[in-house]
Amino acid sequence: MAAADMSTPKIQPYKTNLNVCVMGLIIFLVSELALFGAFFMYYANLRLARGVEWPGDFHIPAEATSINTLILVVSSFTCEFALLSLDKKGKGSRVFAWLFVTFILGSIFLGLQVYEYMTIGFTPQDTSVGAIFFSLTGLHGLHVFVGLLLLGLGMIRAVRGRWSPDNHVGLLGISVYWHFVDIVWVILFAVVYCLPSS
Amino acid sequence: MTAVLRPTLARCLWTTPLFAAIAVMVTFAARSIFGMDPVMQENTFLTVAYIFGSIGFIVGIGGMDYWWTWITGGELDEEDHSQHGAKSWQDYFKFNTDHKVIGIQYIVFTFIMYLVGGLFAEVFRAELAKPGMQSITNGQYNELISSHGTIMIFTFMVPVFAGIGNYVIPLMIGAKDMAFPRLNAVSFWLLPLAGIILLSAWMYGSYDTGWTAYPTLQDQSPFGQTLFQIGVIIAGSSSIATAVNFLVTIVAMRAPGMTLFRMPLLCWANLATSALVVAATPFVAGAMFMAMFDREMGTHFFTTEGGGTALAYQHIFWFYSHPAVYIMVLPGFGIISEVIATHARKPVFGYRAVAFSSAGIAVLGFSVWAHHMFASGMQSWLRVPIMFATLLIAVPTGIKIFSWVGTMWGGVVRLTTANLFAIGFIVAFVIGGLSGVMLASVPFDLSITNSYFIVAHFHYVLFGGSVLTVFAGFYHWFPKVTGRMYDEKLGKLHFWITFIALNGTFFPMHYQGLEGMPRRVADYAPQFGWSNTVITISAFILGASTLIFVYNMIHSARHGKPAGANPWGSLTLEWMVSSPPPTFNFDTTPRVVGGPYRYGEEGVKHAVFPDEQPVETERVGA
Repeated sequence: MAAADMSTPKIQPYKTNLNVCVMGLIIFLVSELALFGAFFMYYANLRLARGVEWPGDFHIPAEATSINTLILVVSSFTCEFALLSLDKKGKGSRVFAWLFVTFILGSIFLGLQVYEYMTIGFTPQDTSVGAIFFSLTGLHGLHVFVGLLLLGLGMIRAVRGRWSPDNHVGLLGISVYWHFVDIVWVILFAVVYCLPSS
Repeated sequence: MTAVLRPTLARCLWTTPLFAAIAVMVTFAARSIFGMDPVMQENTFLTVAYIFGSIGFIVGIGGMDYWWTWITGGELDEEDHSQHGAKSWQDYFKFNTDHKVIGIQYIVFTFIMYLVGGLFAEVFRAELAKPGMQSITNGQYNELISSHGTIMIFTFMVPVFAGIGNYVIPLMIGAKDMAFPRLNAVSFWLLPLAGIILLSAWMYGSYDTGWTAYPTLQDQSPFGQTLFQIGVIIAGSSSIATAVNFLVTIVAMRAPGMTLFRMPLLCWANLATSALVVAATPFVAGAMFMAMFDREMGTHFFTTEGGGTALAYQHIFWFYSHPAVYIMVLPGFGIISEVIATHARKPVFGYRAVAFSSAGIAVLGFSVWAHHMFASGMQSWLRVPIMFATLLIAVPTGIKIFSWVGTMWGGVVRLTTANLFAIGFIVAFVIGGLSGVMLASVPFDLSITNSYFIVAHFHYVLFGGSVLTVFAGFYHWFPKVTGRMYDEKLGKLHFWITFIALNGTFFPMHYQGLEGMPRRVADYAPQFGWSNTVITISAFILGASTLIFVYNMIHSARHGKPAGANPWGSLTLEWMVSSPPPTFNFDTTPRVVGGPYRYGEEGVKHAVFPDEQPVETERVGA
């Protein structure tokens, strides 16, 4: 026992069934949620407490964006399928395929967001509503971008055959992160796009 | 030659400018493509250069090497511990994954920043010694007080506890290291970066808006204000990363038998603090981002012309910064519990009450932010609930004070330097706490707001509170860190000079505030002349007393008499290993058999090593 401890000073969790890395990631995502919370707080102050409205007779494109929302929600499932195909001892190619589908769906989402930015008709500099709209969706878009990078790196590891049922913590982390991005978007869609004008 | 390729500070010398240059070129290209006018805007380029140069620095120091190899599917040697532990002094200037090395890096760096911030204070105290303007201008005065506050809070007070916790907590819970050693190293190296950025603001015209940097005043500041925002965001990232690490370490890495209620109270305090950091620090980052967008991109978050409101900044800022004052003092509470129990040779009085009061402070801390804004013109219905919530915080704090006094009561109190600092802390913190209760009541606060009474209050809780606990912790664990004893005579001299000068510096400020002397003004009415002279002389003595401490620490670390594993006769785990501890802390995983503070009971143990005879006595939490 003693000799084994000396030669393997690896970090071992003593108490928990939850992997430490995933636990750390979840705690980190709580702080990410707080970062979004700062922007949501500003948004709530603006729209609810002070009753500031979208500039002019402008209407937020809620209908178009609901399709985008659907795409992101579907991508959350395809991301989960990557993990499931791993647990069925599938080959790296199936993991790769599902990650690739998720990556494509995420890219479409990001592309549609950029298109919305170009066509929406106001800039971040115009008013404070414009600033908070671009900040909230931009911060989320940044997270989608980071998620796409992670998915890309997950695909590289899948091609190299590094994911296996015994070694998939990284994949689990990517999946948890992607779900987080999805959940934040659903909240954001509800409060920014669907909140009725008073 | 290879030094510029391996992860060293030398590599940072080219990665930092490389990342900055790439970012500047991309920005230039983007500005040209989108036809922004003018294309060459100096501040925009400087901003992106600083942000991406920072990333380059972390890459250069080696923060990404392992992860990059892992995520791209490269070969990794899991048994490679070449970055773990320090063999010479040069290893302290490298990316090191040993929590003890990181702890020392943290403590030394933050203490240097403490000296820098203190020096700023001495300079403007010299100016304040007499009425009228003598040596510095009004603008320089504003810049000095702003740098003093920012440096002290973001690069000393918050991270120094991360340093002490880093060194002590894994040892205390019987772990071989923190849960994420590489993340730990990254979060340390973010800190010198933040310090350099905050200090480099002096090259561009420093920020002069205090550590709170309210808009719309900050919109008029020179470029240094943007560096303030970048520096605060980086320091905040550092403390979030550390907090994630602490939470996972304390939850998942405890030795067998270390139940939650057998943990030393410092672990409880750090658990509560880390939860606060994780949930609150992103808010200051959000506020800083929005303010930076206002300054560098021309958005209207906090300016009225686009429909924004400056008050929103204050709400978001204080939503972090009030919990932050508990982030700056809760770990200190934990240190005091350790020190007093050990040096009074008695179990902590009301262990569970103290543990839960830490959690209670953490929860209540989120409901009181607006008491910084009573006079700001916010919604008036917020005032009374916030006032009551603020008064309520005195309850868990009072439980702690009661526990410390109750622990000493009837104990065999040894007046070592560490314990003197702990007792001095209780006295000073009660004074600061009482003036805090006074300030919580809205009518009193409205009449006294923005006066020296506020300065007196928060220096009593931050200097009399936090800094004294830091010194208590330094003296308490010095023998463990260095393996040598400090000079007790010099330590006591340091304590008495510090304690008397602290009261001489900050107590007269109560009087000044009640008489109506405004803070953040470089000049004052002549009737405050004598009290300001007293304060300035005391402040100089206070500064000089730090030199005694520095001499004592450096000299004793090299020439002090050997301390042995457990000079204080403490029961907690960190004292069961040699001083300084071996590289991987514990050769065999200890097994915890009882509470951490069972002083006065014959032959009981907190923990045993498997080869020892186990002592099985069940009395959890005593």
